[in-house]
Amino acid sequence: MSKVIGDVILDVQNISLRFGGVKALTDISFNVKEHEIRSIIGPNGAGKSSMLNCINGVYTPSEGSITFRGQQFDHMNSRQVAEMGIARTFQNLALFKGMSVIDNIMSGRNLKIKSNIFMQALRLGPAQREEEAHREKVEHIIDFLEIQAFRKTPVGQLPYGLQKRVDLGRALAMEPQVLLLDEPMAGMNLEEKQDMSRFILDVNDEFGTTIVLIEHDMGVVMDISDRVVVLDYGKKIGDGSPDEVRNNEDVIRAYLGTSH
Amino acid sequence: MAFFLETLFGGLMAGMLYSLVALGFVLIYKASGVFNFAQGAMVLVAALCMARMAEWIPLWTGIDNKVTANILAFAVSVAFMFLLAWVIERLVLRHLVNQEGVTLLMATLGITYFIDGFGQTLFGSDIYKIDVGMPKDPIFVLDGLFEGGVLVNQEDVIAAVIAAVLVACLSLFFQKTGTGRALRAVADDHQAAQSIGIPLNRIWVIVWCVAGITALVAGIIWGSKLGVQFSLTTVALRALPVIILGGLTSVPGAIIGGLIIGVGEKLSEVYLGPLVGGGIEIWFAYVLALVFLLFRPQGLFGEKIIDRV
Amino acid sequence: MFYRENGQFKTSYQADQQIFPIAQDRWAILAIIAFAAIGVPFLVDEYLFRAILIPFLILSLAALGVNILVGYCGQISLGSGAFMAVGAYMAYNTYIRIDGMPLILALLSGGFFATLVGIFFGIPSLRVKGLYLAVATLAAQFFCDWAFLRISWFTNNNASGSVSVSNLNVLGWTIDTPLQKYWFCLGFLVVFGLLAKNLVRSAIGREWMAIRDMDVAAAVIGIRPMYAKLSAFAVSSFIVGVAGALWGFVHLGSWEPAAFSIDRSFQLLFMVIIGGMGSIMGSFFGAAFIVVLPIFLNQFLPALGGMFGVEISTAAVSHTEYMIFGALIVWFLIVEPHGLAKLWSIGKQKLRLWPFPH
Repeated sequence: MSKVIGDVILDVQNISLRFGGVKALTDISFNVKEHEIRSIIGPNGAGKSSMLNCINGVYTPSEGSITFRGQQFDHMNSRQVAEMGIARTFQNLALFKGMSVIDNIMSGRNLKIKSNIFMQALRLGPAQREEEAHREKVEHIIDFLEIQAFRKTPVGQLPYGLQKRVDLGRALAMEPQVLLLDEPMAGMNLEEKQDMSRFILDVNDEFGTTIVLIEHDMGVVMDISDRVVVLDYGKKIGDGSPDEVRNNEDVIRAYLGTSH
Repeated sequence: MAFFLETLFGGLMAGMLYSLVALGFVLIYKASGVFNFAQGAMVLVAALCMARMAEWIPLWTGIDNKVTANILAFAVSVAFMFLLAWVIERLVLRHLVNQEGVTLLMATLGITYFIDGFGQTLFGSDIYKIDVGMPKDPIFVLDGLFEGGVLVNQEDVIAAVIAAVLVACLSLFFQKTGTGRALRAVADDHQAAQSIGIPLNRIWVIVWCVAGITALVAGIIWGSKLGVQFSLTTVALRALPVIILGGLTSVPGAIIGGLIIGVGEKLSEVYLGPLVGGGIEIWFAYVLALVFLLFRPQGLFGEKIIDRV
Repeated sequence: MFYRENGQFKTSYQADQQIFPIAQDRWAILAIIAFAAIGVPFLVDEYLFRAILIPFLILSLAALGVNILVGYCGQISLGSGAFMAVGAYMAYNTYIRIDGMPLILALLSGGFFATLVGIFFGIPSLRVKGLYLAVATLAAQFFCDWAFLRISWFTNNNASGSVSVSNLNVLGWTIDTPLQKYWFCLGFLVVFGLLAKNLVRSAIGREWMAIRDMDVAAAVIGIRPMYAKLSAFAVSSFIVGVAGALWGFVHLGSWEPAAFSIDRSFQLLFMVIIGGMGSIMGSFFGAAFIVVLPIFLNQFLPALGGMFGVEISTAAVSHTEYMIFGALIVWFLIVEPHGLAKLWSIGKQKLRLWPFPH
């Protein structure tokens, strides 16, 4: 069944980002449509992670604004962004190393937990039931990502590929509308990449989550993306469907390379 | 007015003593990113060593000349502090290289307790005197401007001069020598420094040795003025607010911070104290540091603290 | 062969999430509590109650509080002594100044005031961490040292800052003999232990641990760092405050500010480090260790010295104590940062396999 791509859900307008004298992003504008898989590609240092950090509230852009579902924001704080329904994974894995897989993914449910500290201390009926209900949701995610055997293991002890899945799981636990994935396949072998691609496609398919993806593997990007944005030295040099971008002269020169 | 000036001078001198201790903290932090809570204990064990050696060396070697005895005692103490530095680096720091700040802080807390017990076992736990020939009589200055003059302690003035010389030497060391450069590289980024061939372990031993000497100088000055006794609270803990004010990475900051704290404590005790029941010296420095933490955590001269994602 | 999970299948999340999922653990804990309540009184004399058991129970409670802040939430605190002092002095004031104030309520009110102070001095944690936060907590410590000495209201206008309480009773039952004091403290410890365990395995506990492990990432998944940190300070100070009130009321009877000095703060921190940061069990292990070690050394070292004909003074014993504490802190931080609790759980793992090697 083919998916239906909706209207623009996230709109990035004229974003510039400066660190002291260094311009990380210069006047970037693009949009993301609901239910699509949008990739951001470009050479190292192009500003891709910085772009996600701006959307996510980790960095505050020096200029420009971001509109999500029609509401415009100039300064987004990470927590507000999370509450709005945007979740994210990190390039360097920002997992809670001291906690188990279940606890890490459960921490993604925190936004939805309503019981207050006193009820949690006494573990009365409603608090206990709420904990169980969220546990059930988390178990669905664990099943989906096929990491059942490692539930109770502290994530610090897991191999890298599995840690990446837990990172994804934690983001999924937030039941986000938009999922920002920062190089989810970095450091993976072919098999692991296939698994991760499958997970991403399944998330997009089953839950309708809009995905914004930073990735270096061109094969993956061209395969699964609906549209692609290309950045180079903090500027946008390409924007369109995978085919359009693949044939864009500027992109080829800067990033893809020509074959002689 | 004369009284105010006396209080001011007294505060400046007390502040100078704090600065000397704070200097050791800053040095180690600058060079290794380790916050050495044990610096105060090091000051005291250095002073103890000096005091007892000055006593024992004449007994062991029959040397009567005070100056020679003191010089020998100083040499032995320097050697002792180097040994201590080396042992700490080998046994503790080397194993905690990749741990976060809090772990290192707690480890130095453990080192403090250990040095506390060990120092006293080795050197004894009474109050000892250090006599390095500092003039003890106070003098009166500025008696042209003020009736009777302003009372100033000669010892304090000499201490201030010594501290200034020490700071100058250290600044030169850091800025002009190759080792100093290496130290600054290590402070900035351990792994990067290692990758260009800087021998991390040796650098750390050097740093702790330098800090040890600073501790010894501070200990001798303190001990000469107040007598040497183990009291953890007084020394190390007083120096912490100094570093917060001055900035953890700044040598001039340690000096200025110390002076501000010293003066602030004395003035507040004399002028504010009677209003609230006295004894506010014990918390004045800390509450001042607390205010800085809320509004300018990097202190007056420190580098801004950046949290990387 | 005794300690196996064979056949213990969980069919509900509730069963999987309980505090002691392994049946043998559940029985063991019940047995320990029963033994503590009923068996111990037959075996120990007054001295052991006064010198070891009651301090152990109260300091375990305090260590529990400190562990929540330092071990679970990762916020270093060198001011726990001050929070104990607030608990003790404020409990004293509510007890003395309000007629007919029940004892337990007075103790809890001490905890409540400690919470307020804890939240206040926890505010710097929103801006700084590590050493800087340690300095802020030291400010709390020194300020409280001064306040309880010099502000006469706290001590009912007693010049030396010392206060005392007597005639403790709960609903008519007096708390006078060591045994009664023991049961009273045991009750508090069991209740607070349960509440603390519930907290750390719920959402708030996960928030605390998230802040500890990576506070920047915590914000990104929707955790409010301010709420998490301040709630850790609040809960921790409450427990430490109640422990302080118990220490003053039940253990000491009469006290002055020096009972809650910076040495107490360090002592609690050491209990948490040695016992195991981020572990409820660890708080008990750490407290037991730190309470028993000085007494052990006091008996053992002079005896050892006697064997070699060397006289060991009390000062020497105290210095040795310091050396051993310092060395142990360093040792644990290097070798097993999760303390005795981790060693215990490794032991249990081996027990699960016993008598097989793997």
